[in-house]
Amino acid sequence: MKNFIVLLTLMSATWLTGQKIYTISGYVKDASSGETLIGANVFRMDNPVQGTSTNTYGFFSLTLPEGKYKIGVSYLGFENVAYEIELNKDMTLNVSLREGIIIQEVVVSAEKDDRRKNVEGTQMGTLELPIENIKLIPAIFGEVDILKALQLLPGVLSSGEGNAGFYVRGGGPDQNLVVLDEALVYNAGHLLGFFSVFNADALKNTTLIKGSMPANYGGRLSSVLDIQMKEGNNKKYVVEGGVGLISSRLTVQGPVVKDKSSFIISGRRTYILDLVQPFLRGGRFEGTNYYFYDLNTKWNYTFSDKDRLYFSGYFGNDVLKFRQPTRDFAFDLPYGNRTGTLRWNHLFSNKMFMNVSAIYNDYRFQFNGSQNNFNFKLFSGVEDWNFKVDFEQYYSSKHTLKYGINYTYHTLTPNTASATDGDFDFRNDVSVKYANEGAVYFLDDIKFNDTWAMNTGLRVSAFQQVGPYKSKLSGEEFGTFEPVKTYMGWEPRWSINYKASENFSIKSGVAFTTQYLHLVSNSSSTLPADIWVPSTEVVKPQRGVQYALGFFKNFMDDTFESSFEIYYKDLYNQIDYADNYVNDINQDVEDAFVFGKGRAYGAEFFLKKSVGKLNGWIGYTLSRSERTFEDIEDGRWYPAVYDRTHDLSIVANYKPARKWDLSAVFIYGSGRLFTPVRGFFFIEQNINLFYGPRNSERLDAYHRLDLSATYTPQPDSKKRFKGSWSFSVYNAYNRRNPFFVNFETETNFETGTNSITGSKITIFPIIPSITYNFKWNQ
Amino acid sequence: MESIMKKISSIIFILIVLHLWGCEDPYTPSTSTSQQEIVVEGFVEAGEGALPVIVLVTRSIPFISTIGSDVFGDIFVRDAVVEVFDGTNTISLTQLCLSDIPEELREEAAQLLGLNVDSLSLDICIYADITNQINRKAGGRYDLTVQVDEKILTATTTIPQIVELTDFDFRVPPGIPIDSMAELWANISDPAGMPNYYRYFTATGDDPQLIAPFGSVFDDGFFDGMQNLPIPFPRAQRRGQDFNPDTFGLYQRGDSIRIKFCTIDFEHYDFWRTRDFAANSGGPFSSYTRISSNIKGGLGIWGGYAVTNYSLYVPPR
Repeated sequence: MKNFIVLLTLMSATWLTGQKIYTISGYVKDASSGETLIGANVFRMDNPVQGTSTNTYGFFSLTLPEGKYKIGVSYLGFENVAYEIELNKDMTLNVSLREGIIIQEVVVSAEKDDRRKNVEGTQMGTLELPIENIKLIPAIFGEVDILKALQLLPGVLSSGEGNAGFYVRGGGPDQNLVVLDEALVYNAGHLLGFFSVFNADALKNTTLIKGSMPANYGGRLSSVLDIQMKEGNNKKYVVEGGVGLISSRLTVQGPVVKDKSSFIISGRRTYILDLVQPFLRGGRFEGTNYYFYDLNTKWNYTFSDKDRLYFSGYFGNDVLKFRQPTRDFAFDLPYGNRTGTLRWNHLFSNKMFMNVSAIYNDYRFQFNGSQNNFNFKLFSGVEDWNFKVDFEQYYSSKHTLKYGINYTYHTLTPNTASATDGDFDFRNDVSVKYANEGAVYFLDDIKFNDTWAMNTGLRVSAFQQVGPYKSKLSGEEFGTFEPVKTYMGWEPRWSINYKASENFSIKSGVAFTTQYLHLVSNSSSTLPADIWVPSTEVVKPQRGVQYALGFFKNFMDDTFESSFEIYYKDLYNQIDYADNYVNDINQDVEDAFVFGKGRAYGAEFFLKKSVGKLNGWIGYTLSRSERTFEDIEDGRWYPAVYDRTHDLSIVANYKPARKWDLSAVFIYGSGRLFTPVRGFFFIEQNINLFYGPRNSERLDAYHRLDLSATYTPQPDSKKRFKGSWSFSVYNAYNRRNPFFVNFETETNFETGTNSITGSKITIFPIIPSITYNFKWNQ
Repeated sequence: MESIMKKISSIIFILIVLHLWGCEDPYTPSTSTSQQEIVVEGFVEAGEGALPVIVLVTRSIPFISTIGSDVFGDIFVRDAVVEVFDGTNTISLTQLCLSDIPEELREEAAQLLGLNVDSLSLDICIYADITNQINRKAGGRYDLTVQVDEKILTATTTIPQIVELTDFDFRVPPGIPIDSMAELWANISDPAGMPNYYRYFTATGDDPQLIAPFGSVFDDGFFDGMQNLPIPFPRAQRRGQDFNPDTFGLYQRGDSIRIKFCTIDFEHYDFWRTRDFAANSGGPFSSYTRISSNIKGGLGIWGGYAVTNYSLYVPPR
């Protein structure tokens, strides 16, 4: 391996040709806010293949032989800029880009470089959705939601109508790594997943990797959703917000020390049930309420060109309060995530970037109920302390090396229940589990020539369950930090790009992945009460291998980008509940698991037009996802609940005039799978249902059209205060898409008859909504 | 407790649905296969007031919308061979059909056998140990064999040790005072160091048949080995009856009631636990639940009960 790295370094070093080489490095920022721009292109204008793009912190480093160059810098939606430079020493180039709304032609050329990534990048199955684009897409109740927007991309399925949960390429919702400023988000949904925890106002960038996951990511089998929060405007104070049907939002940002330090605070809260409180007063359920809120905050300080410090935090909760004063019965059910990330960027040289992160995150679910003298408490959750160091080394314009190390200490609390009744105390016998997780990785991205490029990586991960713990298998007791069970994962990742012509490339990749934490749900989506469990002496890590092959073509002078990708996945140590599973808080959930394997395969087609008055995309997926478990129907292979044969999304944005943005989304998908009732039988004279084979029937095909229009009365206004109205219609032709099939049994004691009815329940009819958004700046 | 989590999901869900004026379309399964399963419902009891061994053998019904008395009458399997091995002897149970009993004795017979008097119009057939030959005792193990035509079903159950209730206490319900109603509490002393499983039934003046509540079984996961622990015994209500959240589980003061309290083994517990869970599951937030069964070759339950029976009077306030 060592020799291989040396070889790659030698190959990329231009001193082989005898020329001197120098490095241009710096940051790319938004000129108006000072926000760093992620993924901006920096390239030789006469030969764009010799280029790079900014990293997560807006930093770039481009090494070229001595000479005169015209260096271009571009970013989607911003004006392109070019610098004439004479490169005869290492130099720093900090670039500020202006939003490109005035000179349309320039913007087009800037976007074009971005579109080249479709053909030229080595990474497969990587999709970036700028927040500004997401905001134009019609949203249910007008609530902009990045997770729902991602579901419109090929290979990404919604876990249910209106739900922010998602499945990627036939994998379960727990197989997606969701990170917000590097902090893991264990439950990305509010209100049973109908809304995501991500407040779009506070976010800068969203990247979904569904293909060959680069080696710097790990711990999940299916995908990575990497979300970065805004840093805050370091030039001037800005207040923006929105008033919607469900919730309202407010964001404040501004400089702490101009050009050096800034902050952002962004909050959101729902209020529908607050409005009905007067109607509950004096009634049986007085005081019952539900709401959720989010708070995002970030602060950064630039000490010098070499050192920066960032602190970001997220805090969100759902709160359900149930009150029944007539029976002195009450419970509170709060749950939510908290994350905190402290990061330090340091430049060792203009070719070597380091980031050190210390991260805390947790997810807590609680239930506190009482009646008279009886009190009941339930708690479950995950808490992580994470420390990581990542290095990026830019050898040349054609060769980058990344490597790093990562350690996490996990505390996983299953359902711990306790109750008191007068003098009696009760407690269930399930214990908290502790684990160490660590990984080292390296990742090498190299362009051999104008035709071949390769991304090679290796991640070596380890997971160790530690005490205090009492073994279920041997009865042995383990002390604090004493190892109970250790697992290792060798996870090679590899992808290659063959550029057959200027506008056509073929990419292929293989990724081995290991997942040490698991969440098993007996519903189609994840619910707040579902519990994350670690790999233990009982539960083995999930492992996966994905093979992918893709064809990428741009045509009509890069106006259209297209791709066709096929993939095949093998999944090992998959986990589910047996079909007689009962949620029993006296039982450790891992004891209810059954273990098996899975496979998923499919083809994805994507056609995108990101320029012009009319833009948008068409995504289509044909796929299959199957599982087998020895303990479920004797190991019969059955389609997983994540299986959907056809999935089509069409997204169109149209700008007929300066004041208007129109948008439409059409979705068609095969119906969801479910397990049908086969018949019923009587026990104690009550009807009981029994079922046919698992997931052997589908609901009706799903289709829907959403429309939206955004009206900005004075788009070119120089005033400090600006407002806009968003109108949207969800399910415009009122399609009755069944959400689930419900069976009701009823006994009529007078006639001595029993009846059973099955009905397809639709919960989202046509839903119009209106949102007012505003922005004030200093 | 599991039902609480479920209820919470349901409450939130109902709030959403109410907001969204959800709607329904009828659903008919495309694969309503005609294959029928044989269902066994049989119990062997020991203890004071224990019922004789009774086994019902029925057939499952394919998915149809209404089951009137015509369908219901046809589900009882006649002429099955039903045998119980009690560790020493194999005893054949006798088929008894209501039509074989003189009409004037049917009601009495039904009550004696714990059958619903409402069902008397149907020709219910049961298999019973009419001569009481099976040696029923706590700690006993019982093997059941049912032969229907060529098909043989088998099951095994045990009767655990009896656990009695003491110190019955009728308490004033919490919340807004209701003078006419009371909560029932009784003390349990749980055997330490092993899992124990319990089931109970209640009968009240206006509904003299013993019925089990919705969550009809519980285990000692929370109170293993605790002595003289007071626990509530909410009044059971028939499925399908109107639910009143203000009086649910309460007893009418001045009423005479009966409580039947049983200890059961794990397989028996697992049957009721999955049955109760399945009755609450389905819907958008849980997948189906297959009811566990200890019947090899069919559905249903062959369960042992160690029973104690209590007749109580709910005193006026």
